[in-house]
Amino acid sequence: MVELRSVKKVYKDRTVLDVPQLRIQHGESVALTGANGSGKTTLLRILARLLRADSGTVTAPQDVLYLPQHPYAFRGTVLDNVLIGAKDRREQALALLETLELSALAAKPAQSLSGGELQKLALCRVLIRPCALLLLDEPTAALDTNGTRLVCDALARYKAQTDCTVVLSTHAPQFAAKAAERLIVLCDGRIESDGSI
Amino acid sequence: MDSIKQAFDLLFSLDKELFQILGVTLRMSFFSTSISCLVGLPLGTLIGTRQFRGKSFLKKLIHTCMGLPPVVAGLLVYMLFTHYGPFGRLNLLFTVTAMVIAQCVLIIPLVTGLTASFVESESRPIIETARGLGLSDARIILLCLSEGRASLLSVVLNAFGRSIAEVGAVSIVGGNIQWKTRVMTTAIMLETNKGKFSFALALGIVLLILAFIVNAAASWIVKERADG
Repeated sequence: MVELRSVKKVYKDRTVLDVPQLRIQHGESVALTGANGSGKTTLLRILARLLRADSGTVTAPQDVLYLPQHPYAFRGTVLDNVLIGAKDRREQALALLETLELSALAAKPAQSLSGGELQKLALCRVLIRPCALLLLDEPTAALDTNGTRLVCDALARYKAQTDCTVVLSTHAPQFAAKAAERLIVLCDGRIESDGSI
Repeated sequence: MDSIKQAFDLLFSLDKELFQILGVTLRMSFFSTSISCLVGLPLGTLIGTRQFRGKSFLKKLIHTCMGLPPVVAGLLVYMLFTHYGPFGRLNLLFTVTAMVIAQCVLIIPLVTGLTASFVESESRPIIETARGLGLSDARIILLCLSEGRASLLSVVLNAFGRSIAEVGAVSIVGGNIQWKTRVMTTAIMLETNKGKFSFALALGIVLLILAFIVNAAASWIVKERADG
């Protein structure tokens, strides 16, 4: 289970996150939405332990994977990138690349990919390993309709295999409706609404 | 022009003493740069990637040490290794080993500080992506070093430049002993003191050629690896 109590984060006198209470049950899929600067990334980074809250308590599983908004393409091929820290999962990597229609690019240098291709590669890199909590920061921001559909399919398959909790941020209502069952709207760092989709 | 001609004459005459001095210079610079990079690159990456209490103070301390005057570093090492010093029994004073130790005192803060600055400014997406994948700290450090190797080459070359051009510390702990601890910079200083300015300048040109060859070779190796 994921739980936040009285969590606050302030940057230079500006409160970017102020969550009195938030509870996400194990296995739930939650979409965070809201305008730029509403606190979506801050919330995800706090859950990923990349950022410390200034106050409050955060309870989250240790086994967390986080896909940043601007993922990095490491040197080497696309396949090398997927296999970073997971050398023994070559078969799974190839299957995932196939699912996200990246097979043809497997031997290409990862740093030559387009923004959308890089986003799909970054998702492959995350989905190759199991976790209890999956955090995705705008995973379809650079993707077209087909790419978004592929990501939804890959996510659904991953969730069925791992039964993990998923928290993702997005500006796309259609993607949120497909990938999550609960929608949290953030505004100026506060939860404006929270309900099922 | 005379000095340039003299520099090439010196090189092509295969002067035994010159090549012995060049050998000591290269040996000293190689070891002091290598040891400093082995310590400073991972340490700088660790400081750059981690958030911890006292980090700001530590960085200020490192930046202060980056400006440590070479004669002070030489004096510190001299006091440690002099006959009555804590490591006097090792009999290292006036050896190339002592010169390497003195240079490491100077260069480790330089490599650490420059690496930490580079990692903090350039490696954020690498760190965030790697942490998001749950990779270990050791793995993240290796990734940062590997991904930033072209930029980190300038750190290594900076370290080498400081080592090969340094005179204060090596003359104090090395003693500028002929056939033993004389390096290019101390030889230049000696010739200048003797009033042989033209010869000193020729030695300086040889030193520059040497530094250029090492820089070019290092850049070529990194480019080849990046392209390969």
